[in-house]
Amino acid sequence: MGNIIEVLDVSRTFPVPGGEFQALKHINAAIPESSFVILKGRSGSGKTTLLNIICTLDKPTGGTVRIDGEDVSKLSDYKKEELRRKKMGFVFQSVSLIPSLNAFQNVEFSMRMAGIKPGKERDKRVEECLRLVGLGNRMTHMPAEMSGGEQQRVAIARALAHRPKMILADEPTAELDSAMAARVASLFAEMSKKEGISILMTTHDVGLMGAADYLIELANGERVSESE
Amino acid sequence: MLGIMLQKMWHKKWMNLSLLLGCILLVATAVSFPLYQSAAYNRMLTDEFDHYLSNEGVWPAQLTLQVSTKKEKDGKTITTMENYIPTIYRDLGVQERDTIYLYTITGGAVHSEYERNDANDLSARLGYKSKLEDHINIVNGRMYSDTGLSDDGAIEVIISQKCMTKQGYLVEETMAFNALKTFEGKTMRYKIVGVFEPKSPGDLYWKNDKESEYDDLCLMNPELFRNSFMGEKSVKFSIVCRYTAMFEYENIKATDVERLQKSVDYYAHTGSYRNVIDEPPILEVLNEYTNKHSRISATLTILQIPVLIMLAAFLLMISGQMYEMERNEISVIKSRGSSRLQIFLLYLYQGLTLTGLGILGGVPLGMQLAKLLGSTRNFLIFDLSEQLKVSFDQRALMYVLAAAGTGLLCLTLPAIKHSKVSIVNLKQQKALNKKRLWEILFLDVVCIGISAYGYYSFQRSSADMTETVLNNKAMDPLLYLSSSLMIVGLGLLFLRLQPILLKLIYTIGKFFWRPAPFIAFMENVKNGRKQQLIMLFLIMTVSLGMYHSTVARTIVENAIRNTDYADGCDLRVKEVWTEIVDRNGARTGTYIEPDPSKYVTAPFIESYTKVYRLKDIEMEGGSNGKLTVNLLGIHTKEYGEMTWVDKKLNGKAYYELLNELAVVENGVLVSANFRDKLGFKQGDSVTYKRQNGGSATGVIVDFFDYWPGYAAEITQQQPDGTMSNDPNYTVIAHFEYVKSKLGDVPYEVMAKLKEGTTDEQIYEWKEANDMRLTTYVNRNDDLEEAQTDPLLQGTNGVLTLGFVVTLILCGVGYLIYWIMALKERELVFGVLRASGFHKGEVFHMLFLEQIFCGGLSILAGFGIGKLTSGLFVPIIQKVYASATQLLPMELITDSSDLTRLMLVIAVMMLFCFLVLTLMTFRMNVAKALKLGEE
Repeated sequence: MGNIIEVLDVSRTFPVPGGEFQALKHINAAIPESSFVILKGRSGSGKTTLLNIICTLDKPTGGTVRIDGEDVSKLSDYKKEELRRKKMGFVFQSVSLIPSLNAFQNVEFSMRMAGIKPGKERDKRVEECLRLVGLGNRMTHMPAEMSGGEQQRVAIARALAHRPKMILADEPTAELDSAMAARVASLFAEMSKKEGISILMTTHDVGLMGAADYLIELANGERVSESE
Repeated sequence: MLGIMLQKMWHKKWMNLSLLLGCILLVATAVSFPLYQSAAYNRMLTDEFDHYLSNEGVWPAQLTLQVSTKKEKDGKTITTMENYIPTIYRDLGVQERDTIYLYTITGGAVHSEYERNDANDLSARLGYKSKLEDHINIVNGRMYSDTGLSDDGAIEVIISQKCMTKQGYLVEETMAFNALKTFEGKTMRYKIVGVFEPKSPGDLYWKNDKESEYDDLCLMNPELFRNSFMGEKSVKFSIVCRYTAMFEYENIKATDVERLQKSVDYYAHTGSYRNVIDEPPILEVLNEYTNKHSRISATLTILQIPVLIMLAAFLLMISGQMYEMERNEISVIKSRGSSRLQIFLLYLYQGLTLTGLGILGGVPLGMQLAKLLGSTRNFLIFDLSEQLKVSFDQRALMYVLAAAGTGLLCLTLPAIKHSKVSIVNLKQQKALNKKRLWEILFLDVVCIGISAYGYYSFQRSSADMTETVLNNKAMDPLLYLSSSLMIVGLGLLFLRLQPILLKLIYTIGKFFWRPAPFIAFMENVKNGRKQQLIMLFLIMTVSLGMYHSTVARTIVENAIRNTDYADGCDLRVKEVWTEIVDRNGARTGTYIEPDPSKYVTAPFIESYTKVYRLKDIEMEGGSNGKLTVNLLGIHTKEYGEMTWVDKKLNGKAYYELLNELAVVENGVLVSANFRDKLGFKQGDSVTYKRQNGGSATGVIVDFFDYWPGYAAEITQQQPDGTMSNDPNYTVIAHFEYVKSKLGDVPYEVMAKLKEGTTDEQIYEWKEANDMRLTTYVNRNDDLEEAQTDPLLQGTNGVLTLGFVVTLILCGVGYLIYWIMALKERELVFGVLRASGFHKGEVFHMLFLEQIFCGGLSILAGFGIGKLTSGLFVPIIQKVYASATQLLPMELITDSSDLTRLMLVIAVMMLFCFLVLTLMTFRMNVAKALKLGEE
C-alpha cells in the first residue's frame, strides 16, 4: 500500500516581534491509503499548522509535502485549489455548512465542485452519504434547523460525497459530546475502509485514539512518536 | 467604560467607519435642504430688489418723508425730524446707505436786475440738497462759493438745465425778490452762478424727487440756507423738508421679511408719520417676494419629501445591518455578566461619539452641498460662478438635531432590542426568512392603487390646474405624492416579483449550474429579503433620478421653447408714430414714419423686416359670415429668415406655408380656427377691412395651427377669478399689399440680432436715437427671465439636491450593506476557499449576486422611472407652465442626463464591486475559518 500523503522534513516558522517562532520542526510523516490517522497534541503543539500545510492552505518554510506522489510546492494556486476540490474533503471544527443550502444541497455542492455530472447517480450518492452519517431522514433541513452534531455529520457526508482521496478534519469533535464524538470517530474508521479514503483528523480527545489506524503526536512542534 | 468602547470601536473599525460616514451624510443631507432653501430665498429677495431697481430706476429700500414747517420761530419741527431720521435705520434693523435732505422755501415773485422784458412773471424757490456737489457736473458757469454769497451780497445759486430753459435765466444774472426781505431788512437777491446736470443719468440720488422739482429750484449753499432761513437770526419761512432714508438691501434676509414688512407698513400706514411718508417702494418688493415665496415654498417642500423618505430608509437599513451585526456581540457581552444598563450605556456612548463626529463633519459638508446647488442652472448643471451665500440658521439647527437624534436612536436601538434576547432564541431567529410586513399587507398594490387614482383624478381636472397656476397657488401636494407613491409601489412590486423571476431562472438549469452561480442563486433565494431595502434604494435612486431629470428638463425646456415661440424673433420694436392733424386739429389717419435708417446702421442688427400687426380687422367671405381678426402683414422672405415654427406643429414645413403665400400677391394664410368656425377652404376669396380705413380682397392659400407668437386661444383671468378662453383668429398677408389697400399705418420692426448682442448696446442705441417705443420685446431678456424664475430655479435646485443626496446615500448605503453582508458571510467564504473555490469563482459569484441585487434593481429603476415620467410629468409641467403657454407641452428627456445617471451609478457599482472583491481576495482563509472558534 502506498502513501497518499508524505510529509518530509517539514518546518514552519512565523515571524514574531524580535525573532521568529518555530511552529513545526523537521516533521516527517506518512499517511497510507485507506487509513484513519489521528494527529494528536495539545493546543499550540502545531497540529493545525501541519494540517493547514498538508491541505495546501499554508506553505512550509522548509521540507516537502507530497500528495498522491506530487510535490505540492510545485503547484500553482489554481492547481492547489483543483487538488483541494477533487482529491480532498474537509471537516472543520465549527459550523462549516453553507447556511443558504439545505443538507442535501450542501452535500451535493461538493460534488458540483468536483465537477461530477448531474443526474440520478449524483443524487443517489448524496442520499447514500447522508444515510451513512445517519441523516437519511433530514435531507431537506436547513443547517440552522439542525443540532451541532447533525451539522457536523452533514459536513462529513459532504467531505466524502465526491469520493476524495483523503479527508482532512480539524478538531471535528470539539463541539460534540463524547458519545457523538465517538460515533464520528468510528464513522471515520468505517469509511476509511469502506470507501478507501484516507482520513487525517486532529484531536486532543484521548478517548478517540483507539479508533485510529495510526497516531501521530506532536509536542512543541516536534514529532513525538508513532504507534499503531 | 470609555476604554471598552474605544477598544470595541477600534476592533470593528471598518463598520464604525461606515457608520460614521453614514452619520456624516445623514447630517449633511438633512441640513443641506434648509440651508439651500433659506439661501435660495435670500437670493430671491435680493433679486426682487435688483429687479425693482433696474425696472423702476429707484432705490427700492428707502423711506421718503416730506413735512412742511409753519413759520415757526424755534425751528422745532426741523430739529425733531433731523433727530428722528437716523433712528429709522436702527428701528428697522437695517444698514444706512445714504440719507438725503432736501430743504426748499417758496420765495415768491422775482424780477431780473437786468433790463429785460422777457423775464417778468417769474417766481423762484430757494433750497439746498445735501451732498449735492458729489452728484453734479457744472456745465456752465461755476459752483456757488464757500460763503455762498457774491461780492455784492446776493445769494449764489446754481440751477438745472431745464430750469435754465424754462425760466429763461442767464448765467451771471442777478435776480431780486419782489417782496422778500433779508433778516436785516434788505431786498433778498440771488445770482445765477452756474448750471448743473446730474453726473450720471441713472444716479439714484435724483430719483426720489418730484418730476418738476428742479424746474424752478435755485440751489444754494447749505450753510447759508440754514443761517438765512432756519437760524435764530433768520427770516421765518414755511420750509418744505424732504428726507430720504436709503438703506442697504443686500443683507436683508428672507427671515427678516415679515418683520420688516410689518415695521414699514406701520410707518407708512399707522404710525404718527403716516401722512408725510411716500408709499414706500420696499413694500411692493416685499409683497411681491411674499407672494412668490408662498407659491414656491410649498412646492419645494413637497419636492424634498421623497429624499427625506430615502434618508429614513437609509437609517433603517443601517440600523437593520447593525442589528444583524451586533447580535452575537451583545449576547456574548451579556453572557459575560454585563447588565442591560451597561450594554445600553456602551452603545449609547458609541452612538454619541459617532453622531457627534457626524455633526462635526456633516454640517460643513451640508453647507458645501447647499452652496453647490445654489449654482444649479439646470438639472445637474452647475454654474459655479454663481455662488449662493449660505448661512447657518435656527431652522438648519433643528434639522441637524433631528437628524443626529434619529441617527443616535438607530445606533442604540439594537442594544435595547437585543439585550433581552439570549443566545438560544437568537440562533432560532436567524434561520427565519419571513415574509415582510409590506408583503403581507400588499403595500405595493395599495401604493399603485392610490397613485393610479391620483393620476386619473388629476387627468380629469386639468382645467382646474391651469386656474391654480394662474392664481399663483402652489402645487397640490397630492399630485407629487401620487407620483412618488407610484415609484415606491412599482419598486415594491418588483421586489415581490424578483425572487420569483430568479427562482424561475434557477429552476431552468437547476442541476447544471456550476458552483459559483449555484451559490449565488441559492443565496438570493434564501436570503433575498435581507437585500430588499438596498434594492428598493437602488430602484428609487434610479427612477427618481430619471423622473426628476425629466421634470426639470421638461419645465425648463418648455419654458424656453414657449418664450422662443411667443417672442417669434430676437427683437421686436414698434415706435410711436406721430399722426398728422389737419388745420382744424382733426385726425387725418396718416402718420409720420420715424426714420428707419437707425435699423440699418445699428451695429448689432443682422437683418430686420417690417411687419404690420393690426387688430380689429373685419373679414368676410361670401355667405360664410364675418369675424373680427388680427392681421399680420409680412415680407415673406425676410420674415421667414428670422422666424421659425417646428414642422410637426403644423404638419407642414413652415417655409412651405411662406412659399405658398409668396407666389400669390393677394394671398392670405388663415388660422385654422377661422376655417373651422366659418367653413372656408383653400382658394376661397375673402374681404378684410380696417375700421375707418381701406379694404382688400384676398385668396386663402392655406391654413395654419401655429405661427410665431400665435395662440389659437387667449386665456385670461376674469375679475371674479374664473378663466375665459377667447378664440384668436389671425390672417397673414403681404406687407406691400396691405399697405396699398389698407393704407400706410404704423408698422413694427422685427430684427435678427448678431451673436453676443448685449442689453447695453440696445439701450444705448435706443437712447442715441431718442426712440419712443410702444412695443419692445427682447427675446434674450425674456429667455433669461424665464430661466431665472425662482420657482424654476428652486425646483431645479431641490431636484438636483435630491438626486445628488440620493445618489450619495445609495452609493454609501450599497457599500455599507455589502461590506457588512460580506463580514457576516466570512466563514462561508473561508469554507468555500478551503474546499478549493477558485478566486475566479469567487469573483463570478459576487458578480452574479451584484447583478441579481444591484443590476436588476437598476434595470427596474429605469423602467419605473420612464413609466412614471411618462404618466406624471405632463401633469406636473402644468404647474410650472406660465399663463402664456402657447405651445403644446412636450416631454423632454436629455440623453446626457441618462448617460450621466448611468455613469455615476456604474462608477458607484464598480467601486463597490472592487472593494468587495478586494476584501474577499485579501481574506486569510485559514484565519477566516478560525473565526467560529468562540
